[in-house]
Amino acid sequence: MGLLTILNKMKQKEKEVRLLMLGLDNAGKTTILKKFNGEDIDTISPTLGFNIKTLEHKGFKLNIWDVGGQKSLRSYWRNYFESTDGLIWVVDSADRMRLADCKQELHNLLLEERLAGATLLVFANKQDLPGALSAQEIRKGLNLDEITTHHWLIQACSAVTGESLLEGIDWIIDDIASRIFTMD
Amino acid sequence: MADCDATGPVSTVNSGIMEEKRQVVGDRLKRRDEERLAELEKKKEERSENLTAQESAKFFLETFSKNKNDLEQELSGCDSLEKDKLVDRFDNLSVMHQKLQRFLTESTMFLSSYDVRQTQDALSKLQALIQEKRDALLPKKKFAFKSKKKGTQQQKTEESKNSDIPSVDMVELADCKFTDKENETLIMDSSINMKDVALANLKSCTVKLFGAPSAIHVNKLVNCTILSGPVSGSIFIRECTNCVFAVPCQQLRIHSTTETKFFIHVTSRAIIEDCSKVSFGPYNWTYPNIIDHYKVSGLDKNRNTWDDIDDFNWLAADQRSPNWSLIPEDERNIQWE
Repeated sequence: MGLLTILNKMKQKEKEVRLLMLGLDNAGKTTILKKFNGEDIDTISPTLGFNIKTLEHKGFKLNIWDVGGQKSLRSYWRNYFESTDGLIWVVDSADRMRLADCKQELHNLLLEERLAGATLLVFANKQDLPGALSAQEIRKGLNLDEITTHHWLIQACSAVTGESLLEGIDWIIDDIASRIFTMD
Repeated sequence: MADCDATGPVSTVNSGIMEEKRQVVGDRLKRRDEERLAELEKKKEERSENLTAQESAKFFLETFSKNKNDLEQELSGCDSLEKDKLVDRFDNLSVMHQKLQRFLTESTMFLSSYDVRQTQDALSKLQALIQEKRDALLPKKKFAFKSKKKGTQQQKTEESKNSDIPSVDMVELADCKFTDKENETLIMDSSINMKDVALANLKSCTVKLFGAPSAIHVNKLVNCTILSGPVSGSIFIRECTNCVFAVPCQQLRIHSTTETKFFIHVTSRAIIEDCSKVSFGPYNWTYPNIIDHYKVSGLDKNRNTWDDIDDFNWLAADQRSPNWSLIPEDERNIQWE
């Protein structure tokens, strides 16, 4: 029919989802990305810049952006906000000394207008370490219950073993899909 | 002069040319006539097309105004409805509105831009009306996730009643740790294998880790010497002054540290940020069963980039960062106590 109808149909067929993965340095963002994509994780260096992976999952085309978390790079995070469907916030659960920093950076992001519509998944990473805080403790430490502006979920996981990565990603995709692809 | 020779057969040539010309003109006339007829046909077609366009525009406007009237009637009927039926009614109204919007979008092809603008305006006004009515009759619409939030709040209050999770500012460090010590020699054995170790607020201490931990977090050390067995994951160091580290690991991040020497074995690339006067040499500490610990850690002994450091405050590729240097060879042989 109209051109718009055709365009809409094409867009629905594609089902593209853009995920932005952020977090403090040493949180394990790149390791999560590579593990999820089935790549080798033994040779990962601290990210100077960003990585992007496009992969198919559950009939969706995921564009996952993994941006370096070093302090000197955080001011560039804003350049990646545009048209983000989901925000994945990665936490080094064993880094008890920087939990306050982690909370601050996350809550700054949530004020960002361009991320207003995004679903938030918090990965409490590095659960393979015995000193890791539990998801409940991280949830409290990051004041997640205060968040009313975004759909959110905290998922304990380990990028090294791959445990529960899939559960987290599945949830964020389901949440995004129920918001975006049910217009008809 | 050469032209004169060509005047002989001119007449015959001329008659030939005339014949040709006549044919050409005839053809042209014929073609022009055909074109004229085709043009006429085309115009006729266009006229009839125009008619259908007008007709469909007319059809659109009629259908649109009929639907719009229905919607308005439904809307005005809301006032007398009971509350439990209102939600359904408003949902229904939104669906009707959406349908109408789609109808318009699909019809824009044959509508004049004036009609499109008019109907779009009408739709927007209608939408505002519905919203206004909804806000008036159903204040605070129940969101689907409100009950969920209530649930988490309840959970939260339960938690704060009976939990002893410390607040952020006083998060206890993990089991394997040395904190707030001065002038001591601190030792851990292979019980730290596969665990994470924290070192914080140490002054003039020597720390020896005879094991293969998974990760080390280091914060605020002054005048300390840190020796460790192979670390399978990452080491995170910040705010250290005048220290010496000897560590093998997969990843090494060093922050806000000055006047410190690192003897390292790194299998990826080490990075520094906000550091100055830090220097690097190859890892040279050893102890009896270190080979076993290398096996535990899974570190590749043959892969070492100790002399290749990324400075996140120095992105010029052609010049070397002034913040770090290599330890001269004659200063690398240290006799560890």
